[in-house]
Amino acid sequence: MSHPKATRMALALYPPSWRARYGDEVHALLQESGGLRDVASLAWRALPAWIWPPAHLHDRPARMRASLSTGLLAWSFLTGLGLVFAQLTQFQGLNPPGHQMIKVSYLVFDGALALSIAAAGLGGLPLWLLMLRRAHREHRRRDVAYLLLPLVAPAAFVAGLSVTARLVGGAGGVSAWWFLGLTLVGFAAATIAAAGPGLAMRRLQPRGPALRLAATAGGAAAAAIVVAAAAIIVAVTGLCLWARGFAGYHHATVPGVYLALVVVAAAVTAVSAARGTRAALPEPEG
Amino acid sequence: MGDTLGRWADPPLLVLASLAGEPKHGYAITQDVAKTMGVRLSAGTLYAVIARLEARGFIEPLESEDRRRPYRITAAGAKELARQSERMSRVASLATERLRANLGWASA
Repeated sequence: MSHPKATRMALALYPPSWRARYGDEVHALLQESGGLRDVASLAWRALPAWIWPPAHLHDRPARMRASLSTGLLAWSFLTGLGLVFAQLTQFQGLNPPGHQMIKVSYLVFDGALALSIAAAGLGGLPLWLLMLRRAHREHRRRDVAYLLLPLVAPAAFVAGLSVTARLVGGAGGVSAWWFLGLTLVGFAAATIAAAGPGLAMRRLQPRGPALRLAATAGGAAAAAIVVAAAAIIVAVTGLCLWARGFAGYHHATVPGVYLALVVVAAAVTAVSAARGTRAALPEPEG
Repeated sequence: MGDTLGRWADPPLLVLASLAGEPKHGYAITQDVAKTMGVRLSAGTLYAVIARLEARGFIEPLESEDRRRPYRITAAGAKELARQSERMSRVASLATERLRANLGWASA
């Protein structure tokens, strides 16, 4: 008995290139001899198709560009979550005495975040400059604007933040609601900043060594930010378990939601970067 | 008694062995593998294997008149299948020999 709707839903879980190549065949096969067990197996196999996409299905530069665009968005979100963590813990001096693991987590977080930002910045700089030069030379104003967003959006946010803090902040900083509002604006700014180069890449379609370098550096930046995310998980869990009174972590709901976001963002960053790095590496023989 | 080691059967080799006979499309491969080797390949497993084998150049798609695209084994695929068959044959001979010598089995 065939299940066309369930088959379509299972196929929707696959990468577009996989679907375009094998989707019709899988539909035909499941129409002839498909049960729900087959559909479940098909859905389950979508995960490795994302993590290890067959090399013959797409051109590698396109894979690298797509992974860089997605990875940059996920990485920015995760970095934003990391900065929120730093603001709510380290910058407040929340370092409960006698809990070495929390202190170590802070150090690991600081080191990994710095490493990740350095890898992303240095590895992406040649590609960014290459695209900016080309967009400028060819008078592509929109692409120039997209490429300048990583500079303009954070600068505008920081300027707005300092003005707002001066206007509404008191001796103890801004209120919780203002903090939430500013955090959301910060995430919006990070999203805009990260989306700019992705949009420019889509239009300019760069190839070559600069793209490979950016994809490889993206892998290193993702690995480092995943380590930082693991440090956040250890530190927040530690604060909830051992420092409830000290740090004011009385309820598990907010840290729970926060940690779920960290895990999802880390997973997307890691998968995306792994796909991009794999496409950047030389093809194995055989 | 059920086929308790059935999960050990290597799907890529089953697909290559099936295509060594003649070109087949997905449904024909699953039917052939089930009938001749007693292993049921699900659609997810089959197409994950087909994608891998195609990426490695061990099989290639043929022109199709409808949505059921047939595949055939390539020279590289035949070579790999021969290599793996030789390896499995050595394992089978060794296992039979040791079963006879140590456990007194007349036939394995």
